[in-house]
Amino acid sequence: MKALAFDAIATAVQARFPAVLVQKADNGQMALRVPKASIVDVAHFLRTDAQLAFDGLSDLTAFDTLKYPSTPPQDDICVVYVLFSYTHRHKVLLKVHAERAACDVPTVSGEWPAALYFEREVWDLFGVRFVGHPSLRRIMTPDDWEGHPLRKDYLYPATYNGVAHLRDGQHFEAAPPRSGGPL
Amino acid sequence: MSGFGYAVDTFAAWLAGGEPGWLAVSVAVLAVWVLPLMLLVFPVAALGQILERKIAAAIQRRVGPNSAGLDGPLRFGFRLMLFFLPRERQDRVFKAFCNFPPVRSILLVSRRLGLGQLAADGIKMLGKEDIVPAGADGMVFRLAPYLALAGAFLPFCVVPFGQHLVMLETEVSALFAVAVSGIVVVALKMAGWGSGSKWSLLGGMRAVAQLVSYEIPIGLAVGGAVLWSGSMDLHAIVGQQYEPGVFSLLGWNALQTPFLAVLMVVFFVAGLAECQRSPFDMAEAESELVSGFNTEYSGLRWGLFAMAEYTEMLLVGALLATLFLGGYQSPIGEEWICSLAPWLEVPIHVALLGAKVVAVYLLMMWIRWTLPRYRVDQVMRLAWLVLVPLCLVSLFGIALTLLAAGGTEPGEPFGRVAARPRAALGWLGHLVGWAIPVAVGAWLVVMAKKKHGQVHPALQRLTGGRS
Amino acid sequence: MTLDASTPNGERMTLNMGPHHPATHGVLRIVVESDGEVVATCTPDHGYLHRSIEKIGECVEWPMFVPYTDRVDYVCAMNANLAYCVAAEKLLQTDPAATFTVPRRAECIRVLVAELNRISSHLVAVGAMAMDVGAYTPFLHGIAQREGVNDIFEKLCGQRLTYNYVTIGGVAFDLYDGAIDDIRRFLDQFEREMVRFNKLVTTNTIFRDRCAGVATVSAKEAVAWGLVGPNLRGSGVDFDVRRDEPYCVYGELGVQVPVGQAFAGRKGQVGDAYDRYVVRLLEIQESIRLCREVLKLLPPSAEKPNDPIGGIQADVGKLLKKPGKGEIHVRTEAPRGEMGYFLVSDGTKSLFRVRCRTGSFTAAGIFHHVMRGIFLADVVAVIGSFDVVVPEIDR
Repeated sequence: MKALAFDAIATAVQARFPAVLVQKADNGQMALRVPKASIVDVAHFLRTDAQLAFDGLSDLTAFDTLKYPSTPPQDDICVVYVLFSYTHRHKVLLKVHAERAACDVPTVSGEWPAALYFEREVWDLFGVRFVGHPSLRRIMTPDDWEGHPLRKDYLYPATYNGVAHLRDGQHFEAAPPRSGGPL
Repeated sequence: MSGFGYAVDTFAAWLAGGEPGWLAVSVAVLAVWVLPLMLLVFPVAALGQILERKIAAAIQRRVGPNSAGLDGPLRFGFRLMLFFLPRERQDRVFKAFCNFPPVRSILLVSRRLGLGQLAADGIKMLGKEDIVPAGADGMVFRLAPYLALAGAFLPFCVVPFGQHLVMLETEVSALFAVAVSGIVVVALKMAGWGSGSKWSLLGGMRAVAQLVSYEIPIGLAVGGAVLWSGSMDLHAIVGQQYEPGVFSLLGWNALQTPFLAVLMVVFFVAGLAECQRSPFDMAEAESELVSGFNTEYSGLRWGLFAMAEYTEMLLVGALLATLFLGGYQSPIGEEWICSLAPWLEVPIHVALLGAKVVAVYLLMMWIRWTLPRYRVDQVMRLAWLVLVPLCLVSLFGIALTLLAAGGTEPGEPFGRVAARPRAALGWLGHLVGWAIPVAVGAWLVVMAKKKHGQVHPALQRLTGGRS
Repeated sequence: MTLDASTPNGERMTLNMGPHHPATHGVLRIVVESDGEVVATCTPDHGYLHRSIEKIGECVEWPMFVPYTDRVDYVCAMNANLAYCVAAEKLLQTDPAATFTVPRRAECIRVLVAELNRISSHLVAVGAMAMDVGAYTPFLHGIAQREGVNDIFEKLCGQRLTYNYVTIGGVAFDLYDGAIDDIRRFLDQFEREMVRFNKLVTTNTIFRDRCAGVATVSAKEAVAWGLVGPNLRGSGVDFDVRRDEPYCVYGELGVQVPVGQAFAGRKGQVGDAYDRYVVRLLEIQESIRLCREVLKLLPPSAEKPNDPIGGIQADVGKLLKKPGKGEIHVRTEAPRGEMGYFLVSDGTKSLFRVRCRTGSFTAAGIFHHVMRGIFLADVVAVIGSFDVVVPEIDR
């Protein structure tokens, strides 16, 4: 058991995949930015390499970078993989940016079966289509729900099965906040 | 001829005014046998539900039903009796009656015991909507609860309640009891199939598989008692367990040889399974099959199933007592009780049988609220790989003992003749007959414990032992 | 044990288990295809309890999200509070302008309430599992003990289920007078009570045989399928966030981590339902010990609420008005396994993204994998052994 620091992990990955970049968040949180096409290869490498041995997928989630105050402004869905090695006890964040329009990312469920559920959730809430996922169905929202709620440009459907979703005749997001808070 | 047979004949003759036809006999049978028996068994079975709730509450450290007393039924009775008075008047009379100190304390006690819950539940059940699901096979669905109740109730006809108190006297009453209770299997299957629900279907299938399997240990256990007594007549079996002197319990079958004691345990366990009681309640396992075969039943029909279950528990208790625990006989001083006048002796004997039945009943409840449930395969394994071999070994042992004792000779049912094996074996024979099987059994248990009995140290720590 | 569910004529029955089934712990729906009693395939269906908590998190201010974390997992609301607050504090602390530290007394109280809530949560878990297997009584005995914890919490913060007690920067209230005595008294009687509980159900042969060898998850599988917490440890993986990535004062307590060791003996395997169950009971014991340890560490109360040692609340109000930008992934150990919060802040009063990764979610993810070729009766036992809490799956 030998825990590696982020730098060592980054070096090891970049030696194999030069296209992988180190991405530093505004508060210094480090992550590896992986090109969309090579995520499966990188994941396979990270999982099987003896030094790295990321046998666990601790979390797989995403966030919409639209409206995030950065220069230059971004507009894509950032899929975040939190990998953890139970063998070596180190952790790394991978990030894959997918364009809003053609939002498809290869699935990593072949590497970690835990991704089966995580990817379904990300598909449901962000509309990231995980290519190769065996059963990419909605998981939180009903099967006939429209849109992907956690996208920043999402508007609640005005009605769902005949139930109005408008507040004061306006979309939920656009309505002025009532007293007491944003909701 | 038992007192009941005589009563039926006389009553039928009186009804017909001469040689009775089938109608007169049927009416007489209903009036003399069935009605009293129903009046005896069903209230006890219904009380059992309250008892069960109280016992469950005690085991689970709850209070249980403690608010519904007898005030409500009583008030209803007053309303009926004093229908000619205005309502306030009725209430005033009722209040005055309730404030009468003895009545008041009785009402308080009944409230603490939750006795009124019986009436409340009954009325609730009557008032519920009688639902027959759209996909159900109506006829089968409707018939099943009655059949279940009939199957649970019929064997009581041959259970001797007292010296001359047996409804139906046949030579093969032990066989009759086992055979007739088989109707329940059909009933449960009908309920499971007729409901048109998958949960019910699964429950019905489980029930049939389980009941059919457990008929075999039950049959073998009954066979053991029959073999020992040399008679299939339950009344004769009870009579054969008679022992003069102070310690009458020495004549009981369960104390004759260890094999009969084993058979009694087998009978009890298989009886639990026959009643669908925990730990064998997989046919109505509420956490798996919602409610099993009675998922779709509501109101009174469901109540009939519940009643059938409790009646069957009573039946197992009654048969167990009859076959192995001396039936209606007292554990001490049976000779003296027999010498009493009939008006005293009969109630005592019925009460003694009742006490034994209730003891078995309580044991079943205790087990239900303590143990988890077996799985399907484990239930079957227990029946076929444990109980049936145990029965066969016991039957073999009984046969050997009888061989050593020089065969058996049935005691006369009412003649109180002690059966022969006891006399022939002598105290030495009895001692040896107990010592050898007990020693072998203990050795087997010790060996099994040594081989499979280790408990993980972590579990020892959890149960307060040293780690 | 795996059974063959291949029928010669391919006839199978589809059983719709839930969302209203007595044993699915809430509104979990499982579509089971069975061949008689043997489960061929099983498809969980989620979302009946989806309340879009993550979406709400993007709409409310940082501290306003704490009550919602209660609802993420209401069986252990303290731990859910704590998970979010620890993550939010870590994110705030990455801002160079942040100089606060959570007062030591508050950290100790957090560990105390988290462990007490772990006890009560595990009591529900083991009790419900016993009930699924058919023993009704242990569940009520467990609930009775849970009332003891709830009484303490009610005195502490006025709530019995959703506490909203842990706040960003500390805890909402100091311990009430006599709290320590109450807790000590509860722990003493509870320890005795657990021995009775274990004698009643844990070492019961029927119970052990029901759970032994059922739905075995090997260590490798458990890691790959993302199991966490007692489910992971039941499979023999020695990992606990409290010990390996300590937060609050767990680092000083020396957390002992029980792992599955085929407790059921001859018929058991490492990682079967019985192991998961026993690991929870061992964790209850460990929590009792931790509660006692942390009471020893508890510094006396100070006058000022933001006193760095005896206070209960760091001064974070100004920071929360204008937090720094950035993101963080922090995980803590809740009773159902690691609760990982991935937070993104865009520098405004409300978070840009709140991601809550819960233990039940991945536990539900492995259902269709382990529930093949087992008996229908075991389906409920398996659900119970993974201790899924439906609000945590659906959020």
